[in-house]
Amino acid sequence: MRDTSSGSMIVQRVIADGAIVLVLIAWWATARNLPPFVLPGPEAVAQSMARFVTDGEVAFNALVSFARVAASVSIAMVLALAIALAVQAAPILNATVERRILIFLNSFPSVGWAILGVVWFKISTPTVLFIQTAIVLPFCIVNALAGFRHIDPDLNELGLSLTRSPIRRFFKVTLPLVAPFLVAGIRVAYGICWKIALVSELFGASSGLGYLLMRAQSASDAAMVFACCLVIVVIYTVTDYLLLRPLAARFSVNQGQNA
Amino acid sequence: MTEQKPRALSWLSRSWSNGTVLAHLFTVGFIAAWWGYAQIVPAYQLPGPGIVAERIVTFLGDSEEFAQLLLSLFHVSVAIAVAFVIGCALAALAHYVRPLRLLIDGRLTPFLNAFSAIGWLFLSMLWFGLDSFTVIFAVTLILIPFTIINVRAGLQELDGDLIELGRSLSRSPIRTATKIIIPLLVPYLFAALRNSFGVSWKVVLTAELFGGSGGVGFLLNIARQQFDTETIFAIIAFILCFVAFAEVVLFRPIQRHLDRSFGRA
Repeated sequence: MRDTSSGSMIVQRVIADGAIVLVLIAWWATARNLPPFVLPGPEAVAQSMARFVTDGEVAFNALVSFARVAASVSIAMVLALAIALAVQAAPILNATVERRILIFLNSFPSVGWAILGVVWFKISTPTVLFIQTAIVLPFCIVNALAGFRHIDPDLNELGLSLTRSPIRRFFKVTLPLVAPFLVAGIRVAYGICWKIALVSELFGASSGLGYLLMRAQSASDAAMVFACCLVIVVIYTVTDYLLLRPLAARFSVNQGQNA
Repeated sequence: MTEQKPRALSWLSRSWSNGTVLAHLFTVGFIAAWWGYAQIVPAYQLPGPGIVAERIVTFLGDSEEFAQLLLSLFHVSVAIAVAFVIGCALAALAHYVRPLRLLIDGRLTPFLNAFSAIGWLFLSMLWFGLDSFTVIFAVTLILIPFTIINVRAGLQELDGDLIELGRSLSRSPIRTATKIIIPLLVPYLFAALRNSFGVSWKVVLTAELFGGSGGVGFLLNIARQQFDTETIFAIIAFILCFVAFAEVVLFRPIQRHLDRSFGRA
């Protein structure tokens, strides 16, 4: 039944990469007959993308976005971990966290955070961090809670018999056990942050990729809009492959998560 | 009468120990804190719960504003439906037409999955201007990867033995599909819809705010420009209640039912 022979793999590869080439050719051919503010050609977009390497100001904006995303995901994960720990220490909190806080955060429209963030605080980096953290927090909480729920009580017991220091136990037993779930949560949150939470930079910042997108849009610089979109795809894909996937593979001891 | 009291007491202690009472106390405390804080800060920063509730009522009573709400609902429904059909089709293609598998699993899905929601929004604004189509287009493209990933996971988990059994029972591929494959996929299709519902409400307001000529997000934009915090709060609170309500009344019971009948942990 299952044939993963090299022959079929080669066919798949040819079709997959052939399709990309076809798309590029079709794009180029279509763009030739359209004004550049509707559909810029691949070469114009490539030029704009090159500015992310050559133009210091543009590169800086991309870097700022990346740093903000990384910071927000970290803050959200630490908060989620603290909430999950509190639930574990006092199970009576479970209903409050799951049926109030989680539903509240999950149902909150992301643009709502963006608008409120700007109303409450000024346009600044902390505002962006607040908005992004609020948007990705529910995804982190879900995974952190799942991690603690899956802890094998026997292993916890074993930890208790090994050391009496709760800090040691946390770092040596609890954290490694929940790590696969935390990494999964980080991956989801990281993706959501780039995809959805970037809206924060449309409102709350005067730097970053969201700001760049906004500026290109109002200047009808379609090539730059395309370039920003593709740069986000590149940043996300590269960091996912180089950082998050290896991390997930390292911590997915026997959780059976597919990468 | 004498039996009532212990029963009420035991009910109270049970709901205390499973945290329900605490959850309700949390809600009350949250609203109280909101009210208290609204007393000390200016109303344009944080209107109190009473004012916001009043605004929601007038919002629902005003036929013009209510029509915008229906328009948003229309955007979301169309986007979810179109994304569901396209996502299922792509996932099925990847599963059953092997030569296309790498193209879909290895190229298209990761690309769509990495593409920013704001990117789609701004591109569709360039292409289609400011109207409902722009909003639906952007939301649909954001939802498609979520659907593909969920349905694809379901197809991959299809139990080989059960398919074999199906084949031995009936030779009609249509019968196998309707009696075996689709029922087995139901939990994944449901997960895809549930996911799409949550994500679509998160992004549809953004899409309407920037690229729409109608819908709740459009109202939100007007309110934002006029610093009409009451309306902003009313809209956010209403959407929040609506999505939470759908989750509690619709999705969770169905999920519980599915978990029971499919026995998934």
